[in-house]
Amino acid sequence: MSIRLERTKVAAIGAFAAMAVAGAALADETCNSPYTTRLIKGQEDYVHVWTLGVDGLGDGSDKLVTVDVNPKSKGYGKVVHTLPVGGRGEAHHMGFTDDRKFLWAGGLDDSKIHVFDVGTDPSKPKLVKTIADLPQKTGFVGPHTFYAMPGRMLIQALSNNKDHGGVTGIAIYNNKGEFVAKYDMPATEIGGAKGDGYGYDLAINPKKNVLLTSSFTGWNNYMMDMGKMVKDAEAMKRFGTTMAAWDLKAMKPKQIFSVPGSPLEIRWSLNPKDNWAVTATALTSKIWLIKPDGKGGWQAKDVATIGDPSKIPLPVDISISADGKGLWVNTFMDGMTRYFDLTNPEAPKEVYSKNTGKQVNMISQSWDGKRVYITSSLLANWDKKGEDNEQFLALFDWNGKELKEKWRVDFNKEKLGRAHHMKFSAKPAAKKAAAAESVRVAAAR
Amino acid sequence: MSILKVAAALAAAATMLHLAPAFANRAEHKPIAARPVMDYTPPPAGSYALHVIQRTPEGAVIGGDGKPHQLSEYTRGRITLLSLIYTYCTEPTGCALAYETSVLLRERILAEKRLHGRVRFVSISFDPLNDTHYSMQAYGGKYVRADGPLPWHFLTTASIKVLKPILEGFGQEIEVEVDARGKPTRTISHMLKLFLIDREGRVREIYSTDFLHPEAMLNDIKTLVMEEDGQRH
Repeated sequence: MSIRLERTKVAAIGAFAAMAVAGAALADETCNSPYTTRLIKGQEDYVHVWTLGVDGLGDGSDKLVTVDVNPKSKGYGKVVHTLPVGGRGEAHHMGFTDDRKFLWAGGLDDSKIHVFDVGTDPSKPKLVKTIADLPQKTGFVGPHTFYAMPGRMLIQALSNNKDHGGVTGIAIYNNKGEFVAKYDMPATEIGGAKGDGYGYDLAINPKKNVLLTSSFTGWNNYMMDMGKMVKDAEAMKRFGTTMAAWDLKAMKPKQIFSVPGSPLEIRWSLNPKDNWAVTATALTSKIWLIKPDGKGGWQAKDVATIGDPSKIPLPVDISISADGKGLWVNTFMDGMTRYFDLTNPEAPKEVYSKNTGKQVNMISQSWDGKRVYITSSLLANWDKKGEDNEQFLALFDWNGKELKEKWRVDFNKEKLGRAHHMKFSAKPAAKKAAAAESVRVAAAR
Repeated sequence: MSILKVAAALAAAATMLHLAPAFANRAEHKPIAARPVMDYTPPPAGSYALHVIQRTPEGAVIGGDGKPHQLSEYTRGRITLLSLIYTYCTEPTGCALAYETSVLLRERILAEKRLHGRVRFVSISFDPLNDTHYSMQAYGGKYVRADGPLPWHFLTTASIKVLKPILEGFGQEIEVEVDARGKPTRTISHMLKLFLIDREGRVREIYSTDFLHPEAMLNDIKTLVMEEDGQRH
């Protein structure tokens, strides 16, 4: 029944010409794996942007773009380093290793995983390894979410190398880049609902030993021209409609939840007293709450609407505040950045919204919530066309009432490409201390 | 940080400070760390697989007898729980938590005779400049055991140069924290990790702070014992 309902909704959505679905995960400092060390709770020094190359624009290559974001730096708001990886593989998402020294960045098309050293000198990341055996080792393609566990990385894939559909799984590689294990997404009935085998994001609650997963769509759709896809009724049926709760230690799915409309990003509340997570559904424009069911299991509830679902705002990335009391939601189609009061997670309320671009996707906030970074690109073939195809990284200050833009780096003008996923870094403590000392010495002169 | 820089920083810290083991002679051990919350019942031992994450590195260590040994003498032939620590560490969610968790786990293992002789604990120092084999034995206190139902070896190395490849092999970076003047402090920055190693010397689980759940760790050890005994899941 839930599948029938979803198909009805998808068919209705497919009638709208301007239509897209998001790809985004683990964006910001409040959304890292709980096993990632050295969270930046003060001022970040750099933002690294995993950027899709555009044919004919600059070198045309996917690249890691590093922007200086420390207001005390002379390079504030400027691109200080670019690191092309050669070719275009649909650059998408990144994740730190547990020690935060390396950043793994995936390509949804070529399924390559580039490993950047951002710990030695974050102002000049270095490409130290490219992992290219994911399809061969697992049968999965489209590495999406990179989620650190001790000594290893969980990789949620989006598709497979047999039919390029949405059936996929999770791979584990150790920190040296060696394959460890694979797990198929659940496709059978567990706990009253049937899995669709799709994947998108994953997130862990260590104290409950639970892993949550969500579901999106396969290579055939995410690499298709968006205008063509929305006219293809069969393609529009092939979106995820489920989430799953896994026993993390055993890596076994324990429950399936029917969550129509392609649930994307998963964010656990970081408040130690909380045991709930939220997600947003792209096609149905809803916020869902996943919480204990009081019987030792979990439940998923539709708790809020994002914008006017009939206008297809397409919620993409979300970012939860460190105290679990607020949630940023970007909606791609209308370029809106919305803030929800999550004080009562059973009834989130939109309390603020602002148009931040002609198209917006990723949103990343600092740990203190005072700074909010936004980028523009969704997928190469789904981004808007012509003048609406803005590509940027923008910084806003958030004073609790209003977003005020500080600066914006135009990735088209700078011939960089499509700005997608962001990660923060900070200078190593020793260098920071030395820099502070030199500033004091300079002032004394 | 390069070998020379680490060595120089550690040497500088050692000369500036009196580096008595913070928990020397842990015979009077008292709980000192806030334990990570565990709000679940772990899956039964043997009902799940522990995949091979990586191989353990080889290297030269100094044993409790003060003599050189190969690290593999302490990572093969028994299930091994290995931690990397330094004796003057005061971080409550660092070495102290690792120590306390190991002590709790030790009690549970000793309470089950079928686990006797199947498991060993190994603690290796991050700081060979300060932590001699004598100070490591003092740190281990009453828990130092070279044999018996549950040996616990407290090891060090001859130098940073010898230690570095071992740390790299385990994926364990360290940095000596500096103060505002850029001078080394008494704190070695490291990510807490305990390694569960099978009798073939393969790492089968890695525990960072959030994973230090003794009940789950005990089940992991039992899972490896069952695997050895042919009772696979």
